[in-house]
Amino acid sequence: MKDYLIRRLIGTLPVLLLISLLVFLLIQAAPGDPTLMLLGEDATAADIAEAQRRWGLDQPIHVQYLKFLISAVKGDFGRSFKYSQPVSEVIVQRLPATIELAFFSVIVAMIFAIPLGVWAAARPNSWVDNLGTTFGLFGISMPSFWLAIMLILFLAGILNILPTSGRSTYGIAGEEITGFYIVDSLIQKNWAAVYDGITHILMPAVALGVNMLGILMRVTRSAVLEVMQEEFVVTARAKGLAERRVLWRHVVRNALIPVITVVGLELGTVLSGSIIVETVFAWPGGGSLLIIGLNARDFPLVTGLVMTYTVAFVGINLIIDALYAIVDPRIRY
Amino acid sequence: MRRPKLRNVLISAVVFALAASSPHRVGAQTRVSIGVTETMETHNPYGDSVSLLYGIWSEVTGPFCTYEYDKGEFEGRLAKRWEVKDPNTWLFYLDERYKFNDGSPITAADVVHSMNRVLKDPQSKQKASVAGPIDRAEVADKYTVKFITKKPAAPLLSFVCDRLIVTSKAAYDKYGRDKADREHMMGGGPYRLKELIPGQRMVIAKRPDHPEVKKNPRAPDEVVYRVMRETEQRVTALLNNEIQLAEFIPPHLRKRVEASAAHRIVPVDSIEIMFFAMMPKPPFDKKEVRQAVCYAIDRDKIINTLVEGFATRLDGPIGKGQYGYDPSLQPKYEYSPEKAKKLLAQAGYPNGVSVELQTPVGRYILDKQISEAVSAMLTSVGIRAKLLTPEWPTLWANVQVGKVPFYYMGRGSVQDPSAALHQYFKTGGSPRIGYSNPKLDDLFDKEQQEFNPEKRKAYLRQAMSLLTEEAPACFMWRHKMLWGQAKTVDYDPLPDGRIYGLHMKALK
Amino acid sequence: MRSLTLESVTSLPANLSWLRTWMRPKVYVGGFIVLTLIVVGISGPMMAPYNPNHQRLERMLQAPQGIGGEHVLGTDNLGRDILSRVIYGARVSLLVAFAVVFISGFVGVGLGAISGYFGGKADFTIQKLVEVVWAFPPLLLGITIMAFLGQGLFNLILALVAQRWIPYCRVVRGQALSLKTRDFVVAAQCLGAGRSRIIIRHLLPNLIQTSMVIGTFAMASAIISEASLSFLGVGVPPEIPTWGTMLADARIYISTAWWLALFPGLCIFLTVLGINLLGDALRDLLDPRLKRTASGL
Repeated sequence: MKDYLIRRLIGTLPVLLLISLLVFLLIQAAPGDPTLMLLGEDATAADIAEAQRRWGLDQPIHVQYLKFLISAVKGDFGRSFKYSQPVSEVIVQRLPATIELAFFSVIVAMIFAIPLGVWAAARPNSWVDNLGTTFGLFGISMPSFWLAIMLILFLAGILNILPTSGRSTYGIAGEEITGFYIVDSLIQKNWAAVYDGITHILMPAVALGVNMLGILMRVTRSAVLEVMQEEFVVTARAKGLAERRVLWRHVVRNALIPVITVVGLELGTVLSGSIIVETVFAWPGGGSLLIIGLNARDFPLVTGLVMTYTVAFVGINLIIDALYAIVDPRIRY
Repeated sequence: MRRPKLRNVLISAVVFALAASSPHRVGAQTRVSIGVTETMETHNPYGDSVSLLYGIWSEVTGPFCTYEYDKGEFEGRLAKRWEVKDPNTWLFYLDERYKFNDGSPITAADVVHSMNRVLKDPQSKQKASVAGPIDRAEVADKYTVKFITKKPAAPLLSFVCDRLIVTSKAAYDKYGRDKADREHMMGGGPYRLKELIPGQRMVIAKRPDHPEVKKNPRAPDEVVYRVMRETEQRVTALLNNEIQLAEFIPPHLRKRVEASAAHRIVPVDSIEIMFFAMMPKPPFDKKEVRQAVCYAIDRDKIINTLVEGFATRLDGPIGKGQYGYDPSLQPKYEYSPEKAKKLLAQAGYPNGVSVELQTPVGRYILDKQISEAVSAMLTSVGIRAKLLTPEWPTLWANVQVGKVPFYYMGRGSVQDPSAALHQYFKTGGSPRIGYSNPKLDDLFDKEQQEFNPEKRKAYLRQAMSLLTEEAPACFMWRHKMLWGQAKTVDYDPLPDGRIYGLHMKALK
Repeated sequence: MRSLTLESVTSLPANLSWLRTWMRPKVYVGGFIVLTLIVVGISGPMMAPYNPNHQRLERMLQAPQGIGGEHVLGTDNLGRDILSRVIYGARVSLLVAFAVVFISGFVGVGLGAISGYFGGKADFTIQKLVEVVWAFPPLLLGITIMAFLGQGLFNLILALVAQRWIPYCRVVRGQALSLKTRDFVVAAQCLGAGRSRIIIRHLLPNLIQTSMVIGTFAMASAIISEASLSFLGVGVPPEIPTWGTMLADARIYISTAWWLALFPGLCIFLTVLGINLLGDALRDLLDPRLKRTASGL
């Protein structure tokens, strides 16, 4: 197991290298130029040329890439053009918000998806199943920006029970400790801030998680259906165990593997889906940062962010693989 | 025992939170929250060049001088007055009553330091917008600063006023750039920076001791700028009293605001001029084709339908309230498809011509919808316009290097039109249109070096008349910006979209 | 190998079990929706009452007038007939969805089969490619491709394909790995069949089924992604009406003119519903034990 993990970790290094090269090339090749985006309306050709020299953009691209690579190895991703701050600093400031949101949306999705899926699978092709399927498809078929605006209109507008955007109300939060707003508030026993944080995170988490909810529900349903055909279930039933006990004790536990796999895979999509949701809800996380970086053609920032996402993605997959072994002791690496 | 306890905690949390989030809880303190579309993204005051942000920073660091729209003139603030010593040297006299928030005086050395940051800070993005023609700044005496230009520049004030951000040299020297900006933000403005969360909000708090604060004692104690990009979101937040002011309400949404008894809509003429630019390449190398475009667009119809009347038609590059405006400027283009067809035939395109029109999406009010309507109008006279909507960085970069032959665009911050006109229409001004006309260049040169306002306005008028006739761009309108306001706040929005807490009156 | 269970004993004979699938309402509902869509998509120009791009500004934002009215589903912010735009939109959205699924299926199955069957260097290279491309944030890739290549239907399809071939590639590789050790493949090899013949005649037919199931899900996600790219301003040019751009344009009118957003939104929902219902049925029909793979965006 340990050997396997180490091998996997070493195996990701060339992938990271390739991705950094790809991002670098893609964003530099795309039309647009950070100096043109950032210098304002009045910039003259001379101003732009000067800024390009200052930011090292006048050098050939392979020189730029090599410079980036050398400092990246030392852990320095350069300075963001837009933020005038080291890229790593900007990203670290923003990342907790994204992680908090992703975590919440996964929780929201699982809380609804797993029971619904099990319930539907317990009565295949009944009205419960059909209703659940339709509900799941509803989640899959809605573009997140659309759902986000609908939520704002309905929950913040008509019902007026949740705030429209942002991560916190000004003046409630205490000192920042971990950067996770809700966690910080819990540590400080600032219940008003905890409540405030939860009301702010609910809508974006739902908008982000609904797609995953739909997928998870369907996966749970089919995984449960599949496990129900296995012999040990039949045996359990034959032993005379109550149906409820069979379902939750024997079936659901064994159906968890595909569910975990999909949670892991979808976490990657949740991370990148947050690009849109964060933009709509003014959520100060990595997703909205990526859009800002792209719009400013802030090369160092975008490269740094994509690398961060990649590492997160690869890391999640590793954790999932490790989880398999824990959930199912038969799996060895 | 456990459960009731938890419930009590939850209930008290809810009660407390509700109390905390109600807008006017702060007793004697007053607070106004504003929903804005752009964000303050960096602690470095010189790190961004965005109109709205110049305004917010100016509140913190004290505007150097401002443009007064009522009078059509620049007015002194931190720089209480100025004089042109010789065509290349300007003297600015500082108001000694202005103090940094640690009580230290603002001196000429700080202004020079700030101008040097604009010019030389590797992260500065303001050199072009703020320094413009300025070559260097020097200390004349403790409260007098000297700006030296490379060549005579009559419109110098339109660069430094409302834009030059003055920060403390002492803090910079003591803590270093990043730390000074982040933790020791010194400003001489009526407000001080209280909180900045990039991408989410910015909070400024009033300095009761500031000389300008006495002019309006009811100015809010705190102003919160909150980022809200979606229009529905700003309106919803306004109606929920999460915010008391909301910018950029699109015309069709005003009814939602007006339906509320506690809110109103306040329109203001923007100084951003909207136009369709045509690079002089085939078919637009022919003046007749460019004029045909101008005749083919029914501006009044678009104004009356799509934008529901909330725009003012432009006959010529600028309109009322802008420097050098002349209502009798000739020529004027009325809507006339017949003339357009005739001109097109004269230019050698009797069977029409195909062009590509590019437009930004969501950057200006109803930009895409307007361009869709315009391309249909053009097509109906034989200019078959295929509309493209590239993402903004692509479009903007291509426009700036002269790769987009035909586009819809706005030019903001046009108080004094000189900089904008030079940039778009003077030979070598920029590749954006790539238009060149020696007669026009001559007028532009004369205008720029003329320090007598009346004579300068006359040159500007001649230039604008020629420009309208030659039509390298069709000038469309200026939008009326709609602001949603809670009736607890009294505020007259500015045409340039800047938002000053000092202009507001909190009524409760 | 399936072992003897209670269920397998009591169920219909194996060769008739597929009949059960056809008796489900899923198939009727899904089939009806998809069939309607295809008919509407093909005969759109004949059915649409107006030219979808014909503007009449003086009639903008008219509410739906119902059947018999001049504008059954109302008009949009430029006075264009929404019914006509929805009908034309069906064409484009279906075209995009089918093209994306077909191209990405072709690429993914091909690469997956090669990767699984040949192994070695080819496998290594392809799997590294998979890892690199898959780790990219999907929207970022879409945005860069659209920005770089410019707007257009074909470029949009390309941007959507960029990552969607990967699920096929992964699943097919796994299947090919196991298939190549099966008796019938070994037998074909012994009989002297060439590699390409083995892949085309023996492996692919066995791989197609799974891929078809993946395809139905990918189709749904392609339609959604088109809308998301439009939201970010990198969709197709405005002269091509699609449900995605209609939805993205309608978002500033949600509270004041609901019909602008409702109808394209409803169309997307129904289409995704129909395709997924059919996909479910297809899966049950082809392989009841197949695990669901993750969708794209």
